[in-house]
Amino acid sequence: MIKLKTENLTKRFLGLVAVNKVSFSMEEGEILGIIGPNGAGKTTFINLISGIIMPTEGLIEYNGLDITYMPAHERARRGIARTYQLIHPLENLTLIENVMVGSIFAKGHSLKEARNKAEALCHELGLTGLDRDTSRLTILEVKKMEIARALANEPEVLFLDEVMAGLNADEMKELIAIVQRVALERHLAVGVIEHVMGVIRELTHRVIVLEAGELIAEGKYEEVSNNPRVIEAYLGRGGV
Amino acid sequence: MNRNVSRIFAVLFGVLAVTLPFFAGDYPLQVARNIMMYMALAITWDMLLRSGQISFGIAGLFGIGAYSAILSVIRAGMPAWFSILFAAIFSGVIAFVIGFLILRLRGMYFSIVTLALGEIFRIIIHNLHDFTGGPEGVVIQKGVIFGGNANSLYWLVLAGLAVALAASFWFEKSKIHFALTAIRNNEISAQSSGIDIFRWLLLAFVVTSAIQGLLGGIFVQSYGFATPDAVFSADFTLLPLAMALLGGVYSTTGPIFGAVLLGLVSEWLKLKIPYGHLVVYGIIIVIVILFMPQGLRQLVRRTSHSADGRSA
Repeated sequence: MIKLKTENLTKRFLGLVAVNKVSFSMEEGEILGIIGPNGAGKTTFINLISGIIMPTEGLIEYNGLDITYMPAHERARRGIARTYQLIHPLENLTLIENVMVGSIFAKGHSLKEARNKAEALCHELGLTGLDRDTSRLTILEVKKMEIARALANEPEVLFLDEVMAGLNADEMKELIAIVQRVALERHLAVGVIEHVMGVIRELTHRVIVLEAGELIAEGKYEEVSNNPRVIEAYLGRGGV
Repeated sequence: MNRNVSRIFAVLFGVLAVTLPFFAGDYPLQVARNIMMYMALAITWDMLLRSGQISFGIAGLFGIGAYSAILSVIRAGMPAWFSILFAAIFSGVIAFVIGFLILRLRGMYFSIVTLALGEIFRIIIHNLHDFTGGPEGVVIQKGVIFGGNANSLYWLVLAGLAVALAASFWFEKSKIHFALTAIRNNEISAQSSGIDIFRWLLLAFVVTSAIQGLLGGIFVQSYGFATPDAVFSADFTLLPLAMALLGGVYSTTGPIFGAVLLGLVSEWLKLKIPYGHLVVYGIIIVIVILFMPQGLRQLVRRTSHSADGRSA
């Protein structure tokens, strides 16, 4: 079942076309890799889908509903969640309080209910010391907290924007397993932006490749990584 | 600090505040009234600050409340006690309307516009001579609240402070705390958690403005007169701001400590260097911003943290 799709989604910033006529879809239970060189428009694409910025043209449909110009907070409530490349833990709030926020506002739970749910979620992701200040967390814990914050929305679609950045190999392995598990248990459609190709290979079922705002390839990781156009996008003409 | 210790302090403080008129003379009572008034304003300023919005419009909404209270008594014959409630409602409605216009602004733009709005209110009152009394202001001829009884007026101000305190604790203990803190930290990620930013900012702005209006109403009723220069005085913006900064922002306790300390110091300075006390205010603000951006609360916390460290 298709959870999310875009048609000719386009975003222009003055002269620059950051996202150019991208059409794609995501199925329930699917983990989709979104790759491409720096500046390809991957984050802009996710920003459009989550409603942080509004598109210039095109259509976004979620569960068959046109959400193209729906405000971001409304999309979050309906089940589109994401993490950010630049992490913004809420200072002045503890670890558990950070995780509670999505539960409170996206789902409308009471503070007590939200705390219970956040505790369960943290437990599930292997987070402990829940009353700690966020400045005292390790990088891995911060990443897990970001995922927990997104999951607190109880989403149907989840986007992870470079969630593996800054982690070592063992930590990546742990986080990949976590993402796979939560996606499976919740039947999530997950979109993963990632520069570490090993992660894309391990984690995703399918990959789309963006270059200069355009979708240039789509398919399994093995197919896509051998596609000449993709190799050219990453390495330039005459490379390899 | 130990939780029980602070609770005991809070109760003692409260009992002292309520019973003060029974043993304090006129002068200390007057000083206490002033401090409580500014303390309440400092708390409301901090409440909005928790969302990251720095308002310079306290005096504007205070003045609106003051004038709506006194004019509703003089022009419409409203009972004095009801005019104070009316002041709160009127200021809240005004804030609701202007909130739609200005809560899209951020940072210094929001600050400057709130400052300008306060000035606009003052000029309007200044120039609507027939209705507002113009620059000479208006005086309540008869029916002064509580017959001008000093003790009752003290309790009235205390009640105003209690409203501000209750609202501040409500902000701290409810969803509002999460909404405002998330908005202050990062508006984009706040939206992704389902927070309707504008709605929560509007709520915070309306509630704090209504309380500022309420305090204006209390102020004007306890003195029985209003002039534009008195009730729109920049003091009502700057002193609460200085108190909250000194005590430590994003909390209820910070503005309380700041107001007590700065209130007492300025009273003492008024005697030592008349008219010079405001200079000291300025110096305090500069020192606090440079050396303790989180105010006195930061010092208290730091010392209690290091104490914890030793005991562990």
